[in-house]
Amino acid sequence: MSAPDFQAFQRDFARHIRDPHHTARPAGVPARRMAVYTELLFNNITGFLDACFPVCRKLIGETRWRRLNRSFYRDWRSQTPWFREIPHEFVRYLNTGIVRQPLPAWFTELAQYEWAELAVDTMDCPTPRHDPAGDLLQRPVVLNPARLVLACAWPVHRIGPDYRPRRPQATQLVVYRDGADRVRFVEINPVTRRLLELLAAAPTTGSEACRQIGSELRHPDPQQLAAFGSGILEDFRVRGLILGTRE
Amino acid sequence: MNARPASGAGLGFRRELIEPLKSGVPEAIRFFEVAPENWAGIGGKSARDLRHFSERYPFVCHGLSLSLGGPAPLDEALLQRIRSFMAEHGMTLYTEHLSWSGDDGHLYDLLPIPLTEKAVKWTVDRISRAQDTLGMRIGIENASYYVAPPGAEMSEGEFIGAIVREADCLLHLDVNNIHVNSRNFGFDALAFLDALPLERTAYVHVAGHHVEPDGLLIDTHGAAVIDPVWSLLEAAYQRIGPVPTCLERDFNIPDLQQLTAEVEIIARLQAATRQWKAA
Repeated sequence: MSAPDFQAFQRDFARHIRDPHHTARPAGVPARRMAVYTELLFNNITGFLDACFPVCRKLIGETRWRRLNRSFYRDWRSQTPWFREIPHEFVRYLNTGIVRQPLPAWFTELAQYEWAELAVDTMDCPTPRHDPAGDLLQRPVVLNPARLVLACAWPVHRIGPDYRPRRPQATQLVVYRDGADRVRFVEINPVTRRLLELLAAAPTTGSEACRQIGSELRHPDPQQLAAFGSGILEDFRVRGLILGTRE
Repeated sequence: MNARPASGAGLGFRRELIEPLKSGVPEAIRFFEVAPENWAGIGGKSARDLRHFSERYPFVCHGLSLSLGGPAPLDEALLQRIRSFMAEHGMTLYTEHLSWSGDDGHLYDLLPIPLTEKAVKWTVDRISRAQDTLGMRIGIENASYYVAPPGAEMSEGEFIGAIVREADCLLHLDVNNIHVNSRNFGFDALAFLDALPLERTAYVHVAGHHVEPDGLLIDTHGAAVIDPVWSLLEAAYQRIGPVPTCLERDFNIPDLQQLTAEVEIIARLQAATRQWKAA
């Protein structure tokens, strides 16, 4: 069965909104009126993108940034109905879409890093029951659920107008929302990342997680590693990345 | 949460207004309106702020992304999420625009539906399914538009009337949209109002708009409501009574005092209608 006739108009209208410079204006639609839509809709999208990606925008400059915004709106089919997830669609486009425009090698990771702040700020995850003063080594550790781990090939947290890296440098960051609802970033190393992974995977005490890491690393001195791990866990509790332990 | 139906005059709920509202909600504001697309499924401070107010005031749910006249499959997951969002906050009314907002992806704005028989049928079917999923009648809003899609088989009033009747849904009347369209397309706003299925009106919007240098009106919700739109609201109340009415303001947001003054005008017009009806 063919699509109803009115949908032919919708298809042409949408196509022209996505790409006003390379597609024909639908028949019977005055240029002045069409321009209202092409401008309103694109400005709406750039408003969301500008708000989320100030560093990306600044680093490639206004012309290239707008060209990239346009190719996103033209080529990518955003599936989310939620307006706050438009920046996530943009990151998906950079990650998996066909982007013909030359961009710095670190650009997509930088966009992901800027998006993570918004994502964690509004992440919907109820705070689990926990004992804030519990013994992190002896009791299962409760992590702050409002967090994301970013594993990047580039030092995204240092990129800015004064620093555009030439060589990759593996960088791992935890982005989380603290008790005062502020978004925080902490740089971590691969061992700490593994520690967080183990604590997140199943109810695990700090000691169990350290023992596991010790055996994975074939560490010669598990006691020293446990003392080291305990320091990290307490530090994370102070920062609000660890809430405490199970009650 | 217990259901709290909206009545009287209300205001669009925006982050910019949360702090001033926390130090006291003005008497005239009897309810708030939120877009689920901006507020459902979020956590953190925004979620706590919303709950703070939804525990104390009725909220109306006004959608943006359902694309009732759109070609993509109806987003049942969005409807389910809206249903639980409304239950969480005791909302009893959901309205959406009589428009479409995407092709095979979202375009994130409201576009005009061609006024054809097939479009009526298509849209009625989607509204009916939305009502089934939500378990309630929904309101559909007469939208603003700048292009009249070619090939119309009926007037807009007939289009809206047919859809409201066949879908057995409610009308969400936007008087600013009528004014904007009447100026941009040269028709009589009152005659248009009278052609609508007004007896189904559940909810009303009033807002300001922008005028381009060449005289074209743009429905920005970024300015104060102008007198002809207040007059149209008054005319609507004379026909339908003091239906719950929300002031929309989405850009150039002034301080709460200025917005409250506009909400007070709504409340005064509603009170005058009640007296007029009683007389």
